[in-house]
Amino acid sequence: MSPTPLPLDPPQLARFPEETRAAYRNFRATGDVTAVQTVVLSAVREHCPRQTALAAADFAATAGLRLVEDLGYDSLAIAELVFFLEDLFAVSIRTKEIQAIATVGELRGFVAAKLAEKSAAA
Amino acid sequence: MTAPATRAVVTGLGFITPIGNDRAAVGASLRAGTPGIAPVEFLGNPALPVKLAGTVKEFSVDSPRWRDWSWPAHYEIPRETLRSLAPHGVYAVCAVLQALADAGLAPADIAHDDRTGLFCASAGSAMLLHHHVAAMHAVRGERGNPLGVVSSIAGTLNFNLAARFRITGAVVGFVSACASASHALGYALDELRLGRLDRVIVVGAEELNAETLVPFAAMRALSAGTTPATASRPFDADRDGFVGAGGATALILETETLAAARACQPYAELAGWGQSADGHSVAMSHPEGAGIRRAMQRALDDARVAPSAIDYVNAHGTSTPVGDRAEALALRAVFTDTGASPVISSTKGLTGHPLSLAGAMEAGFCALALAEGFMPGNPHLVTPDETCTGLNLPRATLLRAPRVVLNNSSGFGGSNVCHVLRVL
Repeated sequence: MSPTPLPLDPPQLARFPEETRAAYRNFRATGDVTAVQTVVLSAVREHCPRQTALAAADFAATAGLRLVEDLGYDSLAIAELVFFLEDLFAVSIRTKEIQAIATVGELRGFVAAKLAEKSAAA
Repeated sequence: MTAPATRAVVTGLGFITPIGNDRAAVGASLRAGTPGIAPVEFLGNPALPVKLAGTVKEFSVDSPRWRDWSWPAHYEIPRETLRSLAPHGVYAVCAVLQALADAGLAPADIAHDDRTGLFCASAGSAMLLHHHVAAMHAVRGERGNPLGVVSSIAGTLNFNLAARFRITGAVVGFVSACASASHALGYALDELRLGRLDRVIVVGAEELNAETLVPFAAMRALSAGTTPATASRPFDADRDGFVGAGGATALILETETLAAARACQPYAELAGWGQSADGHSVAMSHPEGAGIRRAMQRALDDARVAPSAIDYVNAHGTSTPVGDRAEALALRAVFTDTGASPVISSTKGLTGHPLSLAGAMEAGFCALALAEGFMPGNPHLVTPDETCTGLNLPRATLLRAPRVVLNNSSGFGGSNVCHVLRVL
């Protein structure tokens, strides 16, 4: 847990689309974890080595995409994506937890569960 | 001892410097004596006695987040490279792309070529290291950027450039403070002479920010000057310290045979080099310049040239009271005392002092001077220090072609390096 409060408009998202930043603010204001789905998809897109596969894809179309096989993620890119999410939501994700995630849909579900767990613990 | 069978030539230059971001701009600034020094303010504190620096134009790399950076649009730096790059790495990628094109090479020509190596010099990124370590403390080590190490520690430059350009011959970084890039170039020559490599990309780079420069104010090493035209004035009696600078320079050094096979026209031959150590102080030059004198003599011996054959010396001359004095005395011992009188200048009067980068940048200036036929002057020199008696320190650049030149560098711990470059 971070001793410093997270900003509502974090610098990590400064170069992201307004839709992404609005979703993050919404989550912070309401605690509604469904709002983070947009942020997670945006982060996946931003860190994706094969940008084209995600160009105009929506939630339904991306849920089954595999990070490694379909999107070209290697272990370094996955580590970078995970840290981005950890830093943004002030959570810590264990290596074992990451290894269990194969698809974009699983990642979205994992982040939502992680935040719900954090909110329950608070 | 017989002369080395292999001759090494400089075939490509890439400049991202305070006095220009390409060969043409740099050449024009050196000929006209145009400084690249501008007002700066660090840490939001106008009270700091650091008012000026040799700034890099057309780049914005002040943020610890790469997404905030910008650079000239004609250089392509993919996300895969940016994510682990330090600010000075951005300068360096651009300088290498420029140098390769200048040498008539495409990145694909050097990728996976076991005969091409990469020798780098930088101090790492104090700014990013601070950023990542502070973040680690803030969360008590519970998480961290997985690219924090490779983007910030000493060696970040070689890690990133080797990955970006797919270097397979050799990759190494040199850390001897302000002599670092000169060591990189010297050892590159040795590798070619030993037949281990046919080509080495030599790169020096430094960033210009509070984390890199302001600590030198604590050493009382920086000029407190506020006038860009006079703050950096190497060898002047009124000099009061160095003016910091950032940037990058890349040189393509290759065997004469390899260059000839490509029908490329090299700038100059790197004819020899020498190094020495002062054995004196962690930060101060030997008071009589014994170390830099020995480095010059060794470089002259290595290149088999007499002091009288040297037309121009690009001095280390950082504009510090102690360092310039030591180098002036060494120059007198090597040249004046043997009846030689080469043109001497420190181009740091125009650029400021870019620390680890200095030796590569100034070797690049020397190669340009040899190819284009000029000798840079000392436009900020008003009253030469009394230790400079007998030294030929012209104010204006001489539009006269040198045939053999020396390039001096010295760093902390009394590390000294000298190169000899010769016209082709």
